Amino acid sequence: MIQTEDRPHVVDVRGLSKVYGAGATAFEALKEVDFHADAGEFVMLSGPSGSGKTTLLSILGCVLRPTAGHVKLFDRDVAGAREDELPALRLGLVGFVFQGFNLIASLSARDNIALVLQLRGWQPDDANAEAEKLLGEVGIPDKANSLPRDLSGGQRQRVAIARAIAGHPPLLLADEPTANLDGHTGLQVTEMLKNLARAHGSTVVVVTHDNRIFHLADRIVHIEDGRIQEVSK
Amino acid sequence: MSAPRSTSDIRTASAMWTGKPAFGLRLRTMVRVGARMMFHDKLKLAGTLFGVIFAVVLTNQQVGVFLGLLSKNTMFIDHAGADLWIVPGSTETLQAGKPVPMDALYQARTTPGVAWAEPLLFGGATVSLPAGGSEPVTLVGTKSPAFRGGPWNIVAGSVTALRRPDTMIFEDSQRDQLGGLNLGSVREVNGHSTVVGGFTWGLLPFAPAYAFAEYDHARELMGTPSDETSFVLVGVAPGANRDSVARALQARVSRNLVLSAPEFHSRVLRYLLVQTGIGATTGMSTLFGLLIGLIIVSLSMFSAVIDNIREFGTLKAIGCRNRDLALLLLVQSSVYALLGSLIGLRMVALMVENMHSPKFALVLPWQAYAGTPLLMVLLCGLASLLALTRIRNIEPAMVFR
Repeated sequence: MIQTEDRPHVVDVRGLSKVYGAGATAFEALKEVDFHADAGEFVMLSGPSGSGKTTLLSILGCVLRPTAGHVKLFDRDVAGAREDELPALRLGLVGFVFQGFNLIASLSARDNIALVLQLRGWQPDDANAEAEKLLGEVGIPDKANSLPRDLSGGQRQRVAIARAIAGHPPLLLADEPTANLDGHTGLQVTEMLKNLARAHGSTVVVVTHDNRIFHLADRIVHIEDGRIQEVSK
Repeated sequence: MSAPRSTSDIRTASAMWTGKPAFGLRLRTMVRVGARMMFHDKLKLAGTLFGVIFAVVLTNQQVGVFLGLLSKNTMFIDHAGADLWIVPGSTETLQAGKPVPMDALYQARTTPGVAWAEPLLFGGATVSLPAGGSEPVTLVGTKSPAFRGGPWNIVAGSVTALRRPDTMIFEDSQRDQLGGLNLGSVREVNGHSTVVGGFTWGLLPFAPAYAFAEYDHARELMGTPSDETSFVLVGVAPGANRDSVARALQARVSRNLVLSAPEFHSRVLRYLLVQTGIGATTGMSTLFGLLIGLIIVSLSMFSAVIDNIREFGTLKAIGCRNRDLALLLLVQSSVYALLGSLIGLRMVALMVENMHSPKFALVLPWQAYAGTPLLMVLLCGLASLLALTRIRNIEPAMVFR
């Protein structure tokens, strides 16, 4: 495992287990997993389908509770957080990029981004201005008023990335961000995610099995059968 | 806000990002998102609005018919111009029953504070038709020259026609039913030849239409003894206290009942609502309208949540709390309610305007117009509970599936 002692572990997972179901149908998706990510690091989680990588991402994103283990995000024990504390933790700490983009269909590109900012307490005018600035950063400044249905897959993922980095959350989690994009666009979008995260100082964890983008990772963590099998750079 | 790069920065950032903007800002955000979601799916919007409009129109139509029916049965009391009524002791509605002795009239006329008192005859009569057969009318005898108690709403002829011998005034809408009546037509009423001297408009209670005759003529037609009448109408002198006069009068006519016009009005309403079952019947159909509206709105909102379940999951994943999404649903349900009420009430107003005939009238007071949007906001809020239950159960982790 590569340790970067000069940088703090902003994501620190120890002995993490997750069991779905109970009794005879119980399925252990994660088994005693230890994982960390450092400030500003770009980490990829790879592995076959059903290996547990999305479960790990979900727990890091505070959208899923672990069965056992410790999860610390930015010195905050999120595994022990109360259920009603989780939305605020997600809002404050995490930006998400989803495989299916998950934009709100009725909101324009600008409004999709501004929504997150307003939830974080930004005034509407400031949120709109920031959203337009972010659309410029992801290379589609002219699409502010477009609805998701009027955008291409690549453009939608750019909006999703702008939404994820809006308000500069310290942790970005991306689930198969290239799965619905062609090879060239997928690479472009991932490079953009990495560059923007670096510019904003965010730590990024990407779940992917797209080997065309592996070279962009600072570290690749390979998961199989609910256990971390290999860590490589 | 710059992103954290060291542990201390991280601690600061974590502490700052509490995700608790002011309620006003959350509300504005949810209003905006909720409204956009609503108007994005126009088919769903139309379906849900249909439910609200259906409930608004059906309930107000039922209430309007009901109030119209009630007003038809109380209009006589409201138009008679009497402050007090002397009625038989067991009176519950405005129908001929046990007679009031004429002594009550004289007692009334000599009671301090009484400006005037007049007898009123009420009873059933039969009009023989030229082609054979007969039609019933409610015969009302009012005393000349003041004609307290009617007729009113005269559309042809004049009340003074009743001063002519053997003359009556009939209801205009009954002209065909009574064999093609015209001014000057002659009909047999209770076997006595009677001339038509005028027509009223809309004096149709929930009983045979009113037909007016001068008091003595009516008494002759009904064969009422001269020492009896149906009711006594009393006017209170200016400056006199109505309730005090009523008490004094009641003491003098203890075998009968003295009611103020509003009391008599309420008594008739109570009778109609409780004894006749009209209240229960109309109440049931009004509730049915509300229930159907509730079900349509409820299912539409639930289906909108199901259709957009991924979006709600995303909203949860990016930090919306259940109470934010409840706010969003509340905004949506309120907009559905207010928009549906606006359209529905416009339709109801058109119905009230155009469905006005002597036989049928929708009566809707301003309270119905003002109360409907409030009721619908409550109803739609209730309808959104089903959708809210579904939203509460959405796992934000679904966004990764």
